[in-house]
Amino acid sequence: MIILCRATLVALMLAVTAIAPAYAQEKTGLKPGFVLAPGTARIVLMRPSIRVGAQSTGGMYEPNADWTDQAKENIATALAKAQTGLGNSVVGYVEPVGAGSAKVAEYQELFGAVASSVIEYQFFKGNRLPTKKRKDQFEWGLGPDVRTLPGLETADYALFITTEDHFGSTGRKVLQVFAAMARVGVTAGVHKGFAGLVDLRTGELVWLNADMQMGGDVRDAEGADKRVRQLLEGFPGKPVEAPIAAAPAIASAH
Amino acid sequence: MVGLLLASAIGTSALAADKRPPLPTYTQAYTPTTVDERGIWMEADERERVQRDSRSLIKDPALNAYVRGVLCRTVSEDRCRSVRLYIDEVPAFNAYMTPNGAMVVWTGLLLRVRSEAELGAILGHEFGHFELRHSLKDFKSHRTGTDVMAWASILIRNSANIQYSVVGQMYAFSRDQEREADMTGFQYLARSQYPSSAAADVWEHVMGEADATAIGRRGRAQHKYVAGVFATHPTDLARATYLRAASIEAHDVKPAVVDMHQAAMAKWLPVFLNDQIKLNDFGGSEYLLANLADGTGWTTPLLCARGDLYRERGNPRDLVSAAQFYQEAIGKGDAPPEAYRGLGLALLRSQQVAEGQAALATYLRLKPAATDAALIATLIS
Repeated sequence: MIILCRATLVALMLAVTAIAPAYAQEKTGLKPGFVLAPGTARIVLMRPSIRVGAQSTGGMYEPNADWTDQAKENIATALAKAQTGLGNSVVGYVEPVGAGSAKVAEYQELFGAVASSVIEYQFFKGNRLPTKKRKDQFEWGLGPDVRTLPGLETADYALFITTEDHFGSTGRKVLQVFAAMARVGVTAGVHKGFAGLVDLRTGELVWLNADMQMGGDVRDAEGADKRVRQLLEGFPGKPVEAPIAAAPAIASAH
Repeated sequence: MVGLLLASAIGTSALAADKRPPLPTYTQAYTPTTVDERGIWMEADERERVQRDSRSLIKDPALNAYVRGVLCRTVSEDRCRSVRLYIDEVPAFNAYMTPNGAMVVWTGLLLRVRSEAELGAILGHEFGHFELRHSLKDFKSHRTGTDVMAWASILIRNSANIQYSVVGQMYAFSRDQEREADMTGFQYLARSQYPSSAAADVWEHVMGEADATAIGRRGRAQHKYVAGVFATHPTDLARATYLRAASIEAHDVKPAVVDMHQAAMAKWLPVFLNDQIKLNDFGGSEYLLANLADGTGWTTPLLCARGDLYRERGNPRDLVSAAQFYQEAIGKGDAPPEAYRGLGLALLRSQQVAEGQAALATYLRLKPAATDAALIATLIS
């Protein structure tokens, strides 16, 4: 049984000792010239990927089923509320059963891979690919076959949402204090998320918003509202951009 | 009434005589309750969705029924009922069970075991991990270990040695669990209809293959009894040794069962062999083929695979051998069209142009719609 490889342990050791670099990173990408007029498009929300847990003293992710369930509920409610402000109708995706589900799973994975590439090779300026260096450039996609997914025939856009929270445990926070005294940087908590909009006619990624240090405690309703507001920041085609309070660098963790 | 009394008397005496270690307690539809266990089950549920939708999954109902049948006959019908089985096309020797009770079997395992009993030995080991909740214990062990390392790195000036020993302890814990799963798997096997000696046989063949791979790659074949600091499992030699000792002690004499392994694998053997040949492991593949031929004789799929293996290494002498293997396979009368393609390509590279082209023409005649038909056609004209 292959569970953990040495690399994971080395990574864990590094996570403890290394100082987390401060990323000078962009957060939002929009395909140049893309406009989404209010009331013109039908948007389908794909099954959001939501993971919530704690971060152990040593930095390990401890998945928490209760928190994840709460977050799924809260985020769904918050999305339903936020929908009215998006200017277009958003409907939840009805997952196909049987043969179609494998294809949907592949596109979920593909979106995750593309979004990670955007974050790493375009949003992070120091690491830009040579083909992504020109100004106002945003050229990414999942391929035109995305429209052949079962259930998306009448939709115009697909909205993907991913959030991952590791709330720093008490042990982690105590460690952080002691580490600070020893002048070692230790971060407590991981709160990252991204949301993307894919044009189903062309397969192009028209908008992506990513934040590696998100605010809002997804375990309660208010926090989830805030998280959803941050996830949908800069969403194209919003009639009025709701003012968003500046998020703290790291969400306060309980 | 007498019969009933007699039966119960035999039952008690059998119980009294049974000095074997007990099996893990079995609970139907077990549901986790603690935060940690519920958390890892949730993650496992998500990963299982991905596994279920994987493209490399082999959905053939017959093969799935066969593997499930072996699992059920090894660990008993009631215990195996809730297991979800996924056969994944990966040409390496592995199987694992997730904390929530999904069993994933790699096709490399199916290719390597030679009987139902050998397959049952490995499936029983994995099932042991599941019943003993090893994922949860391993998770906790890693958490404690990394906690200690984190504190040591901050509070102690030169903590490298402490951290090293903590990492060592985490791996030692993992090895203890593997040993425990080996012995639990052995108990399942010993109580089943299969001979318990199969558990040690598997590891002896794994060692044989590792030797062959090492020699093929000009490395040194060696087996140690003591595992290294960073080893997740006991060494193959240690496992073969203690499982052999256990089977000698158990001394189970069971009536021979009709083994369905070869029959169940017949349809998939060419596919799994093809995956194996692509690993570019001449020594290991050659050992594996010989090991399979030991049980069944040199059948057509084994000969074709051996031809492919030699043709891909491609020394002039290999091409001659490859052509012979293909010809032998063709001589048996049930060779697939691909045998003619292999023969043709091997002959062409041995400068036997006319014979090679004739074989390729036969391939195209037998399989006109082959995906590489156009390419092969260019070699004929």
